[in-house]
Amino acid sequence: MAQKSLSRRTFLGSVGGTVSSSAIVLTMPMLLAACNQGQQARLSGEKFKTLAEEDAVELEAIAARIIPTTDTPGAREAGVIYFIDNVLGDKREEALSLLLQGLRELKASVALTFGVAYFHQLEEAQQDQALIEIEDTVFFDTIRYLTIAGMFSLPEYGGNRAYVGYDLIRFNSQHAWQPPFGFYDADYAEKGQ
Amino acid sequence: MAQALAVTFPERDEVDFVIVGSGSAGGIIAKELSVAGHSVVVLEQGPHLQAADFTHDEWGIDHNYDMKWSTRQGYPQTFRKSENEEAELRDSVCGYAHNVGGSSVHFSGNFWRFRPIDFMEATVRGTVGGTNFADWPISYEDLEPYYTKVDWEIGVSGLQGPWDPPRSREYPCPPMPIKGSDVLLERAAKQLGLTPYPAPVAILSQPFNGRPGCIHCGFCNGFGCEVNAKSSSMIAMIPLALASGNCELRTGCTVSRVHTNAAGRVTEVVYWDEESVERAQRAKAVILCANGAETPRLLLMSESALFSDGLANTSGFVGQNLMFNGHSSVTGLFGAPVNAWKSVPTTRVVHDFYELDPNLGFYGGGGIDGRHPTRGVPLGFGLVSGQVFDGPSWGVGYKNNLAYEFSHVAAFNGHTTSLPQGSNNVTLDPTYKDKFGRPAIRCTYMDHEDDLATMRWFLNKSTELMEAAGAVKIAATYPETGQEGSSHLLGTCRMGDDPNTSVIDSNNRSHDVPNLFMCDGSTLVTSGRGQPTMTIMALAFRAAEMINNAARRNEI
Repeated sequence: MAQKSLSRRTFLGSVGGTVSSSAIVLTMPMLLAACNQGQQARLSGEKFKTLAEEDAVELEAIAARIIPTTDTPGAREAGVIYFIDNVLGDKREEALSLLLQGLRELKASVALTFGVAYFHQLEEAQQDQALIEIEDTVFFDTIRYLTIAGMFSLPEYGGNRAYVGYDLIRFNSQHAWQPPFGFYDADYAEKGQ
Repeated sequence: MAQALAVTFPERDEVDFVIVGSGSAGGIIAKELSVAGHSVVVLEQGPHLQAADFTHDEWGIDHNYDMKWSTRQGYPQTFRKSENEEAELRDSVCGYAHNVGGSSVHFSGNFWRFRPIDFMEATVRGTVGGTNFADWPISYEDLEPYYTKVDWEIGVSGLQGPWDPPRSREYPCPPMPIKGSDVLLERAAKQLGLTPYPAPVAILSQPFNGRPGCIHCGFCNGFGCEVNAKSSSMIAMIPLALASGNCELRTGCTVSRVHTNAAGRVTEVVYWDEESVERAQRAKAVILCANGAETPRLLLMSESALFSDGLANTSGFVGQNLMFNGHSSVTGLFGAPVNAWKSVPTTRVVHDFYELDPNLGFYGGGGIDGRHPTRGVPLGFGLVSGQVFDGPSWGVGYKNNLAYEFSHVAAFNGHTTSLPQGSNNVTLDPTYKDKFGRPAIRCTYMDHEDDLATMRWFLNKSTELMEAAGAVKIAATYPETGQEGSSHLLGTCRMGDDPNTSVIDSNNRSHDVPNLFMCDGSTLVTSGRGQPTMTIMALAFRAAEMINNAARRNEI
């Protein structure tokens, strides 16, 4: 994987030695700064505590097809893989072993079909083709679940960095709102209903 | 302030009352009895969380079960549809919050009162074969003063009107401002000639009783309120109980057993304290308010030579007649932002179908309110988006749909009746145990065919409403193969005059054990139309008064 890993490793390394052990300890200002380093915040040097790097790269590549990067950030920019790494290490041994087994099978299937060693080495269209083959499996369901969870959980868990997940759906996690809350109640008030 | 006055009682001295559980009922009864001068020890298995502990942490709440607890925390439950099946291990079947205030901390705060018909429906409507459908031993009129007490002491926002059941006093707070999802419901309902009205909620629309009004953050259902605007027993009752100087609240205490003596009276409650040390608190009387799953489990675990089928279970009805309430949900997609994820879960309700026409050929009734289809939570919506409107479930198409849908959807939800059946119950799982070695709660449940028919009827009516509301896409769902869990845990120690067909009398006293009382969701004889907590709280105020009176007459 071609990493332009200036960036976060250097940046985070300069902030403090503790960050490498867990994405949870990252603070928001650090994350914002880190994300601003570029949209390619992938596997940028933070160590994984549960996953092997090789497996993390594969899982991230799958996550990035589930919520792709388009004109808006996707799973990759949200740091979904760090969320996945965190929660798999939190009493989810069964899911972890299921994913690792699934990755082994995917690897074998990718080698057979496309003649490459890894899923992440495929072109996007090939990746989608490979995923369509397995989209009814528990393996895919589990990655989809964790990808979406990583996109929309609080950044403390490692994903949803700089709230890119919330921004995508125009959800703002501010703590206080005042009416009107949306179009229809504004219209209701305007018409004096 | 309350903490400074906290009292501690020696375990070997008899206190007047031990209350198991500090939730909707336990918190109220603790406050009422301690303020009346009785010594009270409350045993609560969870921690005493405060407003500052509550966040918008959907992963923690919904997926790690931080408040509800599950197998992850060492509290497995099992489920099966019928007694012929072996129950399967599940993360959560009977869902309730484990903390001071219990589920009143994380509930949606939807606070419909039951109506007069709910208390006498078996007589009016006729029995339903194969069920234990029965009248209550008390009437709406008996309970009305206590509903009003809930309004004013707990804090309810709403608007008096012709659609409301009869009430002796106005709501203390005006209704919540209407949300877009409910504008859509209200306009559609009026088109169909119905009478939508402001939903009563246990959330303050303005400052009341020293607490602030709602800030509309949107995280009510499943979450604790971070400003104390939600009217939990944790914030409305427990501080008063502690301030009485007569109530000791012991948190982190897991009850294993209620002991009885040879005379058949309860003597003490055995529990593990927060250090997992086994202890026992002696008491003149015991009140179980542990909820509709935990209360029957504790009674079944408290069997003895004298009570071989479980404590207070001569009727065989302990744990039986479990009712979840039915539900259905119709989601519509709209052309402008609804933003139903903001503010309280719902602000309008349609109660025109509280009782369905008997000529339909099945029993049932309910209400419809407007909501966000996934309680406003983003992760939960991300999981269902794609399936809801038959779009892609991953990839660019999924992402684009999701980005639009989250703020542009509204749901019209049906909340409906469940019939009491002996085959729907809570029992002790023979295989799985919790981390203390207590048998796991085993839930056996299959909705009655009338309950499923009722859900379908409400699904169709909500679809009609959604069409009238002008939704561009509509998706409808209900648990057509039967529910497999709920946070409404009703009927498992039900109230009645006949000791053969009920567990407690009309004063919440065990038919079998004179100094044992039960009050929580298990008390309910019928399910109402969803939203049971208002009634559980009213029953708690009433039970506290009856228990206090009996204690003063030395009749316990």
